[in-house]
Amino acid sequence: MTEEKILSAEEIVKYFTDKFSTKIKEVKIKRRVAGIKKNETSYIWMKIEKNDFKDFIKHLCDFQFPHLGVISGNDLGNSIELIYHFTLNYGNRMKEVILNLSVELPKSKPEIETICDFIPGALISEREKQEFLGVKIIGIPDNRRLFLPDEIPEGVYPWRRDETGPEKLYRNLHEVKK
Amino acid sequence: MKKATTTKTTYQIPIGPIHPALKEPVFFEFELDGEKIVDVDVKLGHVHRGIEWASRKRNPVQILYLAERICGICSFCHPAAFTLAVENVAEIQVPERAEYLRVIQAELERICSHTLWAGVAAHEIGFDTVLYLTWQIREKALDLTEYLTGNRVTKAIIMIGGVRRDITPDMIPKINETLKYLKDNFEKLRHIFLDDKTVKMRSQSCGILTKDDALKLCAVGPTTRASGVKKDVRVDTSYFAYGDLDITYTTPDILTGEVNGDVYDRIIVRLLEIKQSIDLIEQCLDKMPSGPIVAEPKIAKLLAQLKKTNGEGVGRHEAPRGEVIHYVKLDGVNDAPFTWKVRAPTYNNILPWIPMLKGQQIADIPIVAASTDPCMSCTNRVAIIKDGNRFEMNKEQLHKLSVEKTRRLKL
Amino acid sequence: MRFSMLPRAFVQMFKKPWTNKFPAKYTPSNTTKFLQKVNAGEIKINPPVETPPGFRGKIQYDKEKCIGCQLCLKVCPSGAIEFKPEEKKIKIYLARCTFCSQCNDICPVNCLSMSNEFLLADSDLYSKDLIVE
Repeated sequence: MTEEKILSAEEIVKYFTDKFSTKIKEVKIKRRVAGIKKNETSYIWMKIEKNDFKDFIKHLCDFQFPHLGVISGNDLGNSIELIYHFTLNYGNRMKEVILNLSVELPKSKPEIETICDFIPGALISEREKQEFLGVKIIGIPDNRRLFLPDEIPEGVYPWRRDETGPEKLYRNLHEVKK
Repeated sequence: MKKATTTKTTYQIPIGPIHPALKEPVFFEFELDGEKIVDVDVKLGHVHRGIEWASRKRNPVQILYLAERICGICSFCHPAAFTLAVENVAEIQVPERAEYLRVIQAELERICSHTLWAGVAAHEIGFDTVLYLTWQIREKALDLTEYLTGNRVTKAIIMIGGVRRDITPDMIPKINETLKYLKDNFEKLRHIFLDDKTVKMRSQSCGILTKDDALKLCAVGPTTRASGVKKDVRVDTSYFAYGDLDITYTTPDILTGEVNGDVYDRIIVRLLEIKQSIDLIEQCLDKMPSGPIVAEPKIAKLLAQLKKTNGEGVGRHEAPRGEVIHYVKLDGVNDAPFTWKVRAPTYNNILPWIPMLKGQQIADIPIVAASTDPCMSCTNRVAIIKDGNRFEMNKEQLHKLSVEKTRRLKL
Repeated sequence: MRFSMLPRAFVQMFKKPWTNKFPAKYTPSNTTKFLQKVNAGEIKINPPVETPPGFRGKIQYDKEKCIGCQLCLKVCPSGAIEFKPEEKKIKIYLARCTFCSQCNDICPVNCLSMSNEFLLADSDLYSKDLIVE
């Protein structure tokens, strides 16, 4: 295995903009300091197109095998946004960079490719997005439900804020007569 | 083992939102060939409580207490990661004294959690006396937590922008006394766990997770450090006061010089982390600066400020079980956050169960599953497919098998 | 491990037990009658472990100081506080209180505080002991 390169946040962004210059919609780098010595941590927020997503992930894995934290999802009205939280440069004191990659999918066709062939650990997170947001993940090795019980019918997606949300299903058990 | 007709129960009745419990049910499905496990399938969702949904009606200060009740053992980690995320969004600068106080609470919780785990692991092997000893040691750490925060489990000590209670100089003698007690007993614990022949025979070469698998499956926490991967949020990033302190990755080669990735290595990593935590608390007490303990003492003003903030943020913390990550999106219009995503460390540690359990015997299931210290610890029901028939075993029968295997290893 | 724990287990036999004593020496045959006798002062029970200062127990409410600003309602995570509009005072339901003491922190006149009472179990959610007003 070759020596792992440790790049700073700007250099990582440059590595991606070199290859995908027009396809990246937005890049932001944020820094946070902590403690008396005021050491910094860098956060990169990037927005990319759905079509280049798989190439992007391949490019990322070629550079350094990332650690996938979690995939979070937002319902933005007309589209669903999936955010992949990766971390790079782990294993070196205070050099870790957190890369947040966000992809927007239209609600008419909420499909995206799987990354399980590059990063097998993404399986649980992808299954969770399938059942909670109604996103269809193409090529996922395991298609079953993860957290929701079988009683909840198909077509009800708990995280959505539109008519497919769970509003009809919940019961206000917590309300107590006062 | 009863021969049951094929009613495979795949879910349990949820036990309620406020539940500081250790054990949450998980459903395993094993494929056996004689006594050896050939394939494993894991099913989850038995205690899904809809906590993220409950956050849609609450403001960030109320969500702190909701987050605390996600898990009883990790009751500092979830609020801590949440406040880190909110502070990232709103760009709140936390005073330095508060950062050091937060580290002390986090490390104290780590000591309590790892000693509890040591007892549970000993119980799974069959040594109940060690369970009582480790939990006796843990009582002192819990008494200290009660003295510093007001409650043994639900600490309610962290607030957005700082902490809620200070450590005054008259509290320091009690802290030092507890640390001294823990240090004296640590050597006894180390001798009992690591020098004993039976523990070595039961746990070495058992439940191996290779470094390659740990990297590919994105495992976190002591599970992955025991396989040689250096991943620890406290060392990798600078948050709270960890950037100022002297801390390093805990891997098994510090003690034994080699890395196998089996259950024995995980015991080593957790015991070394207890020692590291005691050392970190002492460093904090020495270096603690003076100053305010919270950035905005008037909570009504803080809530009004958060209501107008717009943005997204990520907060990560090293819980006793691994990396906790929270994602918060505030929309600047409502009190409640637009999105709150919680990812507990055990979610990433579920997939590594599959390579760890293949090739093992049934009686090894409790110790291998417990060695990853799952926050949804015990399987309540295990369905075993053997020669095409289905048997059901519950936890007590599995535990009995594990204890009998220990007795068979004649000393 | 049997051998390494044996000396310690042996020594513990002669030391004071680590656990606190149960309130009564033998389980009473009728718990309600037993508790009535304890309240009347006829039977003594072993006291529970001392709570440290700063323990978050039952909430105490100073009615005169309260100004009716309703800030405590805003921060209660479980909705245990109710506002009484005609009196401009509050009513706290202990059956839903999570003992977080966040209402203490936000109150501008400091009329709320936490005592060290924790033996609050009851079979009726709305009994007199569990409502503070």
